[in-house]
Amino acid sequence: MTNRGVQDWLEEAGGAMGGDATGRRDALLELESAIYEKVEERTATGESEEQAVEIVLRDMGDPVSIGHAFVPQSPIIAPERTRSFYLYTCALFAVHFVLVISATMAGQPLTLGPLQIRPIADSTPWNLFARAAEVLVFDAGVMLVAFMFRSRLGRLVRLRVAEERAGTNKRRHFETAAFLALVLVVANFLRDNLLALYLLDGDGEGTLQVPLLGSGFTNNLILFNVWMLLAMAREVWFGFKGETRGAMLLDVVARSVGIFCLLRIVATRKLVDLTAAKHVLGTDADTVGSLLNSAFSLIALVTAALIAIALVKRLFRLFA
Amino acid sequence: MSTSSLEKIGAELRRGIVQIAALALLREPMHGYQLVKVLAEAGLETEEGTLYPLLRRLETQGLLRSEWDTAGARPRKYYTLSDEGRAALPLLESSWRQINTAVGTILASGVTAGVEEAKA
Repeated sequence: MTNRGVQDWLEEAGGAMGGDATGRRDALLELESAIYEKVEERTATGESEEQAVEIVLRDMGDPVSIGHAFVPQSPIIAPERTRSFYLYTCALFAVHFVLVISATMAGQPLTLGPLQIRPIADSTPWNLFARAAEVLVFDAGVMLVAFMFRSRLGRLVRLRVAEERAGTNKRRHFETAAFLALVLVVANFLRDNLLALYLLDGDGEGTLQVPLLGSGFTNNLILFNVWMLLAMAREVWFGFKGETRGAMLLDVVARSVGIFCLLRIVATRKLVDLTAAKHVLGTDADTVGSLLNSAFSLIALVTAALIAIALVKRLFRLFA
Repeated sequence: MSTSSLEKIGAELRRGIVQIAALALLREPMHGYQLVKVLAEAGLETEEGTLYPLLRRLETQGLLRSEWDTAGARPRKYYTLSDEGRAALPLLESSWRQINTAVGTILASGVTAGVEEAKA
């Protein structure tokens, strides 16, 4: 049995569904099957098909509302991550814009790994504003992709630990542990390749690799490693055992080490050292270095403050 | 309070309950319409527009698995609890009992308090 009214209803519901074509087809087939089953039940009692269809479709309700109810709710950024998204976007924007200003002051593009930071050609207020907007849009886009990738990857990985099978979601802790491991690898093994500036040399033909990191980084590397390893252990512990007292204590220790490490970075203000770039940048190297160090120190200070707030909350939960 | 607001609260309340009821019923395989009828017989009238998306959501969450049966006159999608769903059901049942007891106690104490107040 195929009825025009039912097909129109399904078409309308399908139009409101969204999502992937296979899922939509599947949902429509299921609805179609249910509708015709109900119609057949009614016609078996003596009702005409037309009458039965009318009643069944009326009982089913508004096709658009039903279609909307089928739309999978998977926002690019989960509501609980919105705050992190804004925070990371602001941090990225701050660093990016300081680099733009640095490039403008140096009068040449700065190359940071695969990224090239162009200087502002003409430093009028309008150009400055336009470039700031461009940088912000770019950074928001980068963070959007990063957050989307994180969510999608999380769904793909779907680490099925015992607690998750039982209904609680601990996957996020394992994702964070993996992310921290990545940071650890970059900081220890890839730093010379990724965390360096690639400047055009004097005649503009070749590139010059300038180590970006100063004593503020190298002197704190051991402390940073301890912080990352403790944080990874905490995430894995949380992932497997949940919020046990031991895991919470480890969390407190990890956060304390983190705060100490960040405050040391702030105190030294030597995370970036452009001494090696002086023969290219000239006297501007000091200004650029100082600007970068100020930006990183500010980020480190804000991060330390945020970790401190979280630490106080954790201590309160631990001892209250 | 208007009737529509009351209906909305009732619908929200029912939606949460239908989830656990559907999971409990789907210990045995059932198709959507069959589930609608069983729920209605049990006193939980549920609209298709609520139930079908709910079943898909539970399936996406890994609590249900589904299979199309094309042997009959009309293809039917049968749902049943997945292994995860079977593991989660006792926990949900226990949560439900806890909530049920707590709300029952609150409602009863509310009634008692009201009676005491009226007496005073």
